[in-house]
Amino acid sequence: MKRLFVALVLGLLPIRAGAETTEHATLIATVTDHHILPRYAALAETGAALAEASKAHCEAGDPALRTAWGKAFDAWIGVSHLRFGPSETDNRAFSLAFWPDSRGKTPKALRGLLLKGDEAILTPEGFAIQSIAAQGYYAMEYLLYGPEFATLGTSEFRCGLAQAMAGNIASVTAAIHEDWVKGYAETLKTAGAEGNLVYQSEAEGVQELFKALGTGLQITADMRILRPLGSFERPRPDRAEARLSGRSVRHVILSVDALEELSGMLSEGSPSLVMQFGEGFDYVRAASIALDDPVFASVTDSGRRLNIETIKGVLDDLREIAAVELGSYLGVVAGFNALDGD
Amino acid sequence: MVSRREFIAGALAAGAVPTATWAGLGDVRFVTAAQDLGGAYRLFGMNAAGVPVFSVPLPARGHAAAAHPNAAEAVGFARRPGNFAFVVDCTSGAVVHRLHSPEGRHFFGHGAFSIDGNTLFTTENDYEAGEGVIGVWDRSAGYKRIGEFSSGGVGPHQICRLPGSEALVIANGGIETHPDYGRAKLNIPMMEPNLAYLSPEGEALEIMELPWAMHMNSIRHISVRGDGLVAFGMQWQGDRAQAPVLFGVHKMGEEPRLLSPSAEDHAALNAYVGSVTFSADGREVAISSPRGSVVQVIDVDSMRVARSVGMPDVCGIGANADGFVLTSGDGHVAGYVGDTLTPVGEHDIRWDNHMIGV
Repeated sequence: MKRLFVALVLGLLPIRAGAETTEHATLIATVTDHHILPRYAALAETGAALAEASKAHCEAGDPALRTAWGKAFDAWIGVSHLRFGPSETDNRAFSLAFWPDSRGKTPKALRGLLLKGDEAILTPEGFAIQSIAAQGYYAMEYLLYGPEFATLGTSEFRCGLAQAMAGNIASVTAAIHEDWVKGYAETLKTAGAEGNLVYQSEAEGVQELFKALGTGLQITADMRILRPLGSFERPRPDRAEARLSGRSVRHVILSVDALEELSGMLSEGSPSLVMQFGEGFDYVRAASIALDDPVFASVTDSGRRLNIETIKGVLDDLREIAAVELGSYLGVVAGFNALDGD
Repeated sequence: MVSRREFIAGALAAGAVPTATWAGLGDVRFVTAAQDLGGAYRLFGMNAAGVPVFSVPLPARGHAAAAHPNAAEAVGFARRPGNFAFVVDCTSGAVVHRLHSPEGRHFFGHGAFSIDGNTLFTTENDYEAGEGVIGVWDRSAGYKRIGEFSSGGVGPHQICRLPGSEALVIANGGIETHPDYGRAKLNIPMMEPNLAYLSPEGEALEIMELPWAMHMNSIRHISVRGDGLVAFGMQWQGDRAQAPVLFGVHKMGEEPRLLSPSAEDHAALNAYVGSVTFSADGREVAISSPRGSVVQVIDVDSMRVARSVGMPDVCGIGANADGFVLTSGDGHVAGYVGDTLTPVGEHDIRWDNHMIGV
């Protein structure tokens, strides 16, 4: 009954007989057109909107600036598992998201820029060559929400820096989107075609998408949740992602939304996989909301941290389902040595 | 039916072969870790052709092993971020010592012995500092830890001793990891891999770094030739479509020389080299890519790919008098001599990444 229920709920997806009828090329085209491209389009649009908003609203506390930054950051989380192709050209993804920042390079770099107050870095060219630890959404969070930075340097310089950061995000996200639209989408969709050296077979193209799901689950489980979770003896709430702006749990939910969309496309035609992913992701989403704890502060509460550990456990289960069952369904299970090399 | 492997393992366990040197084990030329289909881990010894001669259980997933220069003793390292290593008496299969990495350190999976075999050097992670460390262990004192020094970089992976010398060469992969975050890579945009030549006391003799354009090319696996030439394989951490060349050779005091591959040969590696092994005569090097399911043999003089062969999930490479022996994650062993790949065996085993020459 349960399976039927899930199948009905997810009835938007056509039910097929099995993986053999899902042509790899069709699958790649579906994911590219309905998952990757719209999400990168949103990334570029929100990036441009952030730059536009910063022109008239550059004060750290300005709600218009914060809102635009939040929307842009949301869009980034929605593509943060798609780490291949245009996002990796010239370290673009790292310049948008220098995270996790295990050595505190971002606040250090930002402090340096603010104390120095060199106007030359406020131009697009000048800012683009600054340390990538000082670029992107995470650096901008310090500027907008970090108490330490609210008074560092002059208010004019802070304003200029916010505009430079926003402008940089706009140009980098536009470049990624443009490369996807103008070339990489075609490269991916023509996986296995004569002369395609990036994807030498259709299976390699599918494997790239399959790997993205695994990458996303790993980032969310190990970085977004395990980092603040730490150990029972030593929880690390200070390591929660985007803690200053209170977005830690929001990022878990946004990434789960994106991963569920991708998993649904990849497992289309397998009701059992669709059901397992659906139930798992639903649980993670509902349990994350139920925490009522936007920054995982309750990792220090011996009673409540169990709830967070359980979310992490379900994500690990989803990783296992993806790696083993989905991999075998798609026929792209990586070899023992190829899987996670050393 | 009792397989040759089981028979010999049984005979060894029963003490039928009393000698404790490699010679006494019957032509063991390679050791390699593996996982059986039940999920249990073992360390295998193989002859020059790649036929298993013995196997002993390992308590956890092994990565590479370090073979003692004389005694039939191998150190199997837990895969990173493992905290322990096992010294296995290959004649009895007994774990004779367990090495525990000190507080704040974990092993990276490779090690090397001094010429006399009395000192073991292990690549380790000082993960709070994010720095590479070489652990020093005294075999005569029951593998007591007697010290450590900087590896000269971050994320040291394979370590070898230069032939006829006590100097060590270390592939510092450059990637910072912390066991709290599993195997997640924490510093890709800032990583700076190198090849570090160190004295056995840890003094830096030379540090070889490639140009910044290649800084995301993690130098991880090495092989050394009799004259001190070091062959190194890399793993590109950026987008694979933009991967630069993945193999080079270097000798102390000289400039590195990089492979000049065709576009097809380069693409076939899929941005990843998993093992590097010099041929017996040192004129060629074989490199493997389990992600590209390919082995390429490189002519060292010309730095061109001389020939290549496909083999699913191939990674381990051993060298023998005829050519190379290859192992794969799906249980195959094959000889690669000239242009010909000849199956040697198919086992219900997943061979792990490396074959270590004894």
